[in-house]
Amino acid sequence: MATTMVKPAGWGRLRLDRTRPKRQEIGPLERRRARAGLLFISPWLVGFLLFYLLPMVASAFFSTLSFQLATPDEAEFIGLGNWQRALFNDPNVWRAWIVTLRFAVINLPIGLVVAFGFALLLNSDYLRSRNLFRTLFYAPSVVPFIASTLIFSQILNSQTGWVNRLISFLFGIDATGVDGIRWLDNPTLIPLTYTFIGIWGLGNAILINLAGLQGVPTALYESASIDGAGWWRRMWHITVPMVSPVIFYNLVLGLVGLLQYFLQPFVLNGTSGYPQGATNFYMIYFYKQAFQFAQMGYGATLAWILFFVALAITIVVFGTARSWVYYSAEQT
Amino acid sequence: MRKTRHWLPLGLALGLLLAACGAGTTPTEEPDITDDTDAAASEEEEEESAPSGDTTRIRWFVGLGAGSDVDTIPAQEEIVERFNASQDEIELVLEIVDNDAAYGVLNPQLAAGDAPDIVGPVGIRGRDGFPGAWLDLEPLVESSGYDLSVFDPELVEFYEVEGEGLLGLPFGVFPQFMFYNLDLFDEAGLNYPPDAYDEPYVMPDGTEVDWDVDTLRELAQLLTVDGNGNDATSSDFDRNDIVQFGFGNQWTDMRGLATLFGPGALVDADGNATMPDHWREAMSWYQDLAWEDGTYPFADYGGADFLDAGNWFNSGNMALSAVHLWYATCCTGELEDAWNLAPMPSALGQTTAKLHADTFTITRATDHPDEAFTVLQYLIGEAASDLLKIYGGMPARSDLQGSFFDELDEGQFAGMGLNWDVVEASLAFNDNPNHEAGLPNSQESQDCYNRVTNRLFVDPDYDVDAALDQLVGDLQNIYDGTGACTLVE
Amino acid sequence: MNLLVPRRQVTTYDEVTARIKRKRLLMTWGVTTLAVAILSVWLMPLAYAGVTSLKTRSQVADAPILPTEIATFEFEDRKYEVFEVPFDDGDRELALVTRGRETSEFVDPSDPEAGLITWEGRWRTLEPVRSLSLAWGNYPEAWELINFPRLLFWTTFYATVTLFGAVISSAFVAYGFSRFRFRGRGVLFMVLMATIILPPAVTQVPSYAFFSWIGWTGTWLPLIVPQFFANAYNVFLLRQYFFTIPTEMEQAAAGDGAGALRTFFYVILPQSVPALTAVSLFHFFFAWNDFFGPLIYLVSNRDIQPISIGLTFFSGVYDSEPQLIMAASFIPLAIPLVIFFFAQRVFIQGIVITGVDK
Repeated sequence: MATTMVKPAGWGRLRLDRTRPKRQEIGPLERRRARAGLLFISPWLVGFLLFYLLPMVASAFFSTLSFQLATPDEAEFIGLGNWQRALFNDPNVWRAWIVTLRFAVINLPIGLVVAFGFALLLNSDYLRSRNLFRTLFYAPSVVPFIASTLIFSQILNSQTGWVNRLISFLFGIDATGVDGIRWLDNPTLIPLTYTFIGIWGLGNAILINLAGLQGVPTALYESASIDGAGWWRRMWHITVPMVSPVIFYNLVLGLVGLLQYFLQPFVLNGTSGYPQGATNFYMIYFYKQAFQFAQMGYGATLAWILFFVALAITIVVFGTARSWVYYSAEQT
Repeated sequence: MRKTRHWLPLGLALGLLLAACGAGTTPTEEPDITDDTDAAASEEEEEESAPSGDTTRIRWFVGLGAGSDVDTIPAQEEIVERFNASQDEIELVLEIVDNDAAYGVLNPQLAAGDAPDIVGPVGIRGRDGFPGAWLDLEPLVESSGYDLSVFDPELVEFYEVEGEGLLGLPFGVFPQFMFYNLDLFDEAGLNYPPDAYDEPYVMPDGTEVDWDVDTLRELAQLLTVDGNGNDATSSDFDRNDIVQFGFGNQWTDMRGLATLFGPGALVDADGNATMPDHWREAMSWYQDLAWEDGTYPFADYGGADFLDAGNWFNSGNMALSAVHLWYATCCTGELEDAWNLAPMPSALGQTTAKLHADTFTITRATDHPDEAFTVLQYLIGEAASDLLKIYGGMPARSDLQGSFFDELDEGQFAGMGLNWDVVEASLAFNDNPNHEAGLPNSQESQDCYNRVTNRLFVDPDYDVDAALDQLVGDLQNIYDGTGACTLVE
Repeated sequence: MNLLVPRRQVTTYDEVTARIKRKRLLMTWGVTTLAVAILSVWLMPLAYAGVTSLKTRSQVADAPILPTEIATFEFEDRKYEVFEVPFDDGDRELALVTRGRETSEFVDPSDPEAGLITWEGRWRTLEPVRSLSLAWGNYPEAWELINFPRLLFWTTFYATVTLFGAVISSAFVAYGFSRFRFRGRGVLFMVLMATIILPPAVTQVPSYAFFSWIGWTGTWLPLIVPQFFANAYNVFLLRQYFFTIPTEMEQAAAGDGAGALRTFFYVILPQSVPALTAVSLFHFFFAWNDFFGPLIYLVSNRDIQPISIGLTFFSGVYDSEPQLIMAASFIPLAIPLVIFFFAQRVFIQGIVITGVDK
């Protein structure tokens, strides 16, 4: 079956459902379809009501309490006190935001491009033993985090780590020592260092891109080749637009993941923020307040502030998605 | 059946919400085949371990101190089994969580009213991480007629917390002393440190000097060596290529580091923040060692492989290290017989050997305080010798102390002839107030003061005095609950 | 075809095929080399882990890169390390008996009777005589320390059981969100997204309270049951993927009178194999390494804990055993990697969506 140009039928629906269907009268067919839709989403709805709603509401309620975890019976209602403290009186909150956002700005584009690039490479017809390569590229994502953190703290050690030894060997400069490249100790290098560590765990994003690349009909490439389109042109005008829903997924989840960035810095440095506060990410500060200081009331407030910020960003991204995904689509 | 839960405001809130949302469906209404098998599997497990209906389940939580290392687990399991076999009223259940994750687990348990009954071994610092969570043992001691005279009264007092009562009974004590590496002293042609607290140190030229922090600093310079064999006194000394360090005060925080210069407190009798002058001096002493001399692990030397990724003394590449008794049993495995013990050096005319003391506590939320107390007596009594061999501490009960070092001499450290006298002598120089003593909002206060030491060892240009001034202001705010820590890490 | 438009004067068919073949070969060679180059850097951390898992504890601290052991010589009942010692008449391999800063004493392993040889110089500048020595024993040692079969059983159990629940339920929900119009769909989708936007750590305490209240702590239920009600990550991903599937076939199916369920099973799912595989792998590896959930819910039931918790006991409070952590981490690695190797064969470009093979 020769595929005609694929009409990007669903892409217009990436946006929030703001525009109602034009037709006012709802026929029996539409009603039945609506009911079917609700039935299809009902597993999630039920699960949400059972397992998510209560904890979410409860945590929102916590944010109005002075609530020490170990002594829930002494919790006290303090209205918006926590919110006021977090928004206006706590310098650590702002520092944590700066650390987090700076990291996100550096990490997000690098992560997206690298994941997409690796997926292209691993999907290339020219690559021999693709299965093996894909498995090996994915391998780091399966390493238990307890091992991977230990690995990174050692290979990035500025005195004895393999990375600096390799750099010294390859480029003939002395990268070791106190005057060398202090990956884990130099606060200005930290965002870059953690980005490298993050790239190593990109297996999932690569996998999603790989799955997305399957959705690009080969017929499109064939007809483009016939038109004499070069590699770059086909990339920009076919591959990227066709995979854009998946890139969009990676973008949204990447954003949310980066705002909630926690595990790596936590296992490497606990909540100490070492060095010089450069790893004091927002969620680290949340963890410190909620579980180390056991101030669940204040912790919940911090989490809900993060929620609103992330939600706002997500809505904006969803809003723009329509144009950039759709726009590219029309180019094909 | 499971014990009834405490229903605290949290539960109340949940209950109300549950009703309000009309989500009156019982959550078990969606059983899957797979879930059933799982439920069956886990119920089976429970049934297996709960033979008769009348036993009380007592949960023992390990993770705030020693006891979560892979090789200590079987021994603890054995102690639990022995206890369970010895009687049929109580079923003791062991919960072990790795130290890093312990706060994240115990906190939700406490908050949800699903708290374990006994927690320990735990030091003062760990205990203060959960203010208000512990049960006052005084009434239980009285009602059970437990004889407190087996302890040094000072030790019992150690666990008295104002306003909260007796939070734990003495279990193990771990005095601090100096570990030194025989080979490294030999190689440098230096005499060993003194064997007892009142003895001087003999320099290579035969002169006798006081065993104090100045001597320590000098020795540290002679014992810090770079890859070419230059020590820190040499003008050719390359601080980018250090392969052996002279001194480290291992695994402690700012108060612990400062206590080398004498005991002190960051809070005065009126609850105000203070910074003792001798602690200021201590901080600038460490700064000099790290950045002027290069003889204390600075920057990321501290985590380097050749210093055993933080376990400095055990690497064999550190000459002198101040640590506590537990270090000997837990962490010196790689050194074999190349080390011995020495007294702590004096500073400003005063000698201090800080003290760690571990205990078991009972949670206030327990439904079975009496049974928990029975288990507690077992742990600090009958099982104490075996447990302390795992945890590496000296029994706090004086009637158990006698044989402790003999057993170590025959067992783990056979043939080494370690100078254990130092350990008992160190007890007399313990730090009072203790370096782990409670502070108002202790976790937050600790987080704040540790920002100073974290930075001290990575930032060569750190203005420590200014930072300490700022710290006092910050601590005051934290004590009063009026502000957050403003120090930059 | 454009490619066949002659640029040079005469181009035979054979020449063109030969050129294409050459180009193909060159590209294959180039791309594969590139992949190997990237991979060698990419896998360096794993190589470090592998090497470390074969070192002894003291080699972790001392040995340069490879697990090598310094040669030793036994002299008067003690073992001494052997170094290359330079003398005027050439280097000799001698065992270092007494270390000193500027002068050290050695013994010659080939002639110990000759007694101690004094050498002026700094022993730290000498090269030790090393030979490769692999500590395979770390693997059995790690295996002995924790109960691998039991821990792996529960991990596999958790990963496989929830795999089916999570993927099937998520596919349903994603289909509902991507192909049907109903009132409040946009809002509901945002609510779905909200469940991942709100940091899960903050709902953990009330969730724990809830599961403890219904008596599920100490069992796998709180970790397994919610997975059967779809989760936002999977739903979002599948929804995105469903959007890339052309609607023509569905319309055709609807025209034939197929209901929504039939269309879902016979049209949507077959076309989504890559995405479903991705989600399945995802979920499997998530469950495989899931740590904090099992930790807090299973703390009171040590007999059913998974491997992710078992591994943490190797990193002690103060005293880590890096070589054992690495060995212990490598043991369970094999299972997910084999699964991945076989599962990812579905990612072969082009066959699924269009039904056209190249």
